[in-house]
Amino acid sequence: MDPVLVSQYVLSGVVIGLIYSLMALGITFIYGIMKMINWGMGEFYMLGSYAQYALIATLLGPRRWWLALPLAMGAVFVLGLIIQRLLLRPMFVGVVERRDEYATIVTIAMMVFFRNLAIVVGGPNQYAPGDYAKPTRLGPLPISGNRFVALIATLVLLALFYLVVKHTAIGRALRGAAQNRVGIQTAGIDVLRLDMIAFGVGVALAAAAGALLAPDFLVYPENGAISTFKGFEIIVIGGLGSIAGSVVGGLLLGVLEALGSVFISSAYRDLYGFVLLILVLVVRPTGLFGERERTV
Amino acid sequence: MNRRLWICLVMLTLVAAGFAGHASAQKPIKIGVLTPLSPPGDAGAGQLIVRGAKMAVEEINGRGGVLGGRKVEAVIEDDGGTPEKGVAGLRKLASQDQVVAVVGQFHSSVMTAVQQVAEQFKVPVFATQASAREITERHLNYTFRTHVIDADRVTIWNRWIKERGFKRVAMTAENTDYGVGLVEETKKQFKTMDVKAELKTVMFDRTAVDLTPQLLEIKNWKPDLFINGGIGTPVYLTLKQAYDIGVSPATPMLITYDAPVRPEYWKTVGEKGNWVTFFAYYHPTMKLPPRGEAFRKRYMAEFKEEPVYAALNSYAQVEVIADALNMAKSDRIDDLVKALLSGKFEGWNGTITFPRGEGPYWQQWSPPMLMIQYTKVEQAFGESKIVAPAEFKTGDWVRPPQ
Repeated sequence: MDPVLVSQYVLSGVVIGLIYSLMALGITFIYGIMKMINWGMGEFYMLGSYAQYALIATLLGPRRWWLALPLAMGAVFVLGLIIQRLLLRPMFVGVVERRDEYATIVTIAMMVFFRNLAIVVGGPNQYAPGDYAKPTRLGPLPISGNRFVALIATLVLLALFYLVVKHTAIGRALRGAAQNRVGIQTAGIDVLRLDMIAFGVGVALAAAAGALLAPDFLVYPENGAISTFKGFEIIVIGGLGSIAGSVVGGLLLGVLEALGSVFISSAYRDLYGFVLLILVLVVRPTGLFGERERTV
Repeated sequence: MNRRLWICLVMLTLVAAGFAGHASAQKPIKIGVLTPLSPPGDAGAGQLIVRGAKMAVEEINGRGGVLGGRKVEAVIEDDGGTPEKGVAGLRKLASQDQVVAVVGQFHSSVMTAVQQVAEQFKVPVFATQASAREITERHLNYTFRTHVIDADRVTIWNRWIKERGFKRVAMTAENTDYGVGLVEETKKQFKTMDVKAELKTVMFDRTAVDLTPQLLEIKNWKPDLFINGGIGTPVYLTLKQAYDIGVSPATPMLITYDAPVRPEYWKTVGEKGNWVTFFAYYHPTMKLPPRGEAFRKRYMAEFKEEPVYAALNSYAQVEVIADALNMAKSDRIDDLVKALLSGKFEGWNGTITFPRGEGPYWQQWSPPMLMIQYTKVEQAFGESKIVAPAEFKTGDWVRPPQ
């Protein structure tokens, strides 16, 4: 087997795995705080890509794509706040008895709504913003400039996320809420406000992935489906609720898919992740970094 | 008294029957348009197909309708490019809307599912741009096609591969009836046509968005021709990602259908779309018969762009159905099918007939197949050259810059 080809596959797996881990991080962060799964995560990825395209095509022009990225994330963050306030907050204020079912129904309804809204507003065709950068090389790997930019931006976002969660007051509060929602309230912290922030940040991370990958993976109503699928695979592998698990799971999935492609066949690429997922579930059902929930 | 009552009843019945007959005479004749209008289907194609069908309906009604004054109505249904949505759509069109025929089928995988249901409901279904060989090879009574067959298309490009002397041909294709059929047919004909080139084929899942592993495999195999067998979004994803990792333009790319003639092509792929060679069935420089030429003029006046084959073909299919209804002098589906099988109809590019031939040439009419090349970024379709086959050639194929 050609070592250059193997290294190219592994590197391409690392790159895409890291970018997908943004999605996984969004899913796991929301779950960690709100204890709910957002099944409509792919639609926030899709909205991020549409917002990026719309900003570049109408307001900013192709050269200022870097300015469009925070704006697209910001727009989806605000949308996330509104959705959390109007649709998800009732889960936590005593109105809803079956929280899990409520969250599932609301987020799946959101998924259908946003997907159809995209078809109505933007039509069913695909769009693509101009390239963020010219094709380049990452060691032996010839890589799209857009994906290289996406990789750098992902690393920056992951670092920022880590710094905020670890070293700021809001980060400490969020970690506290993740550990014990009742306990954090006894310290006088408004956990409902934390929920809003967590949901907004989670969906903004998905939007960032959508905006970053828009030139390569295109903008169309169903473009979030695959990244959501990968995001869920990653959190099951890495462990639901674990931030480190999202990153490690993303890397593992990317590399495994790459190695499977080179040693078996690239035609079954999506299957390899499933094999890993099943293995992890058999050996360690909580995922690599997940912990068994303890209740008293 | 009793006698008077009976007379009244008989008269009332006759009047009611008269009204019913009159209402039936005025009832519009419905033609279904079952086509992809949302992803993962090729929604761009679906929109063009709807455009053509609607223009035909307007034209037919402008002429006074069919069967001595009955209006025609198009019932649009989205198949989403998936067999399950297609089957549900066909059921609805046949049972609820009671259409006399269905046009608009684009994806082979949808058509192969839909045609079985059409057979059960006894409703003629037309493949507008679905090209899998098996569609007409099954010899079903209610399946008609006015589009090319994969096998014929493969023959044309294999001939071109031999002429150009390519030695290493790589091909990616999606794991659908279309993609699998294309790969199998190419492999088969490489042997039967004695093509002296190596062939490497790589399949990918239709929903995949990152095709880097497949394209890296292709790149490292060092082909001198790359056949992009995607349909809809995957054709664009392959094109862009192949350029980014350096497969194209140095390795010439052949696209297996006419996606590059669509208005969104250059917007989506930009400079990466240059130098591609692609299959098409219509070119603006072609001389068309009166029906095709009239459609072209109307289309250009209405949409300010050249018509695209998908619209031309759906337009022609609806016109053929209207002509067949008039020929049959009946709206009964059996009579319509008999008329379709026995008649000669004016299409957009010549006379359409549906003979029951051997193999896939069953109730099949094929348009011309052209290989076209873009040699400039944002090149207008009308300025592009037909590079093969020889009988239609308007320019020489140009090797892309290395």
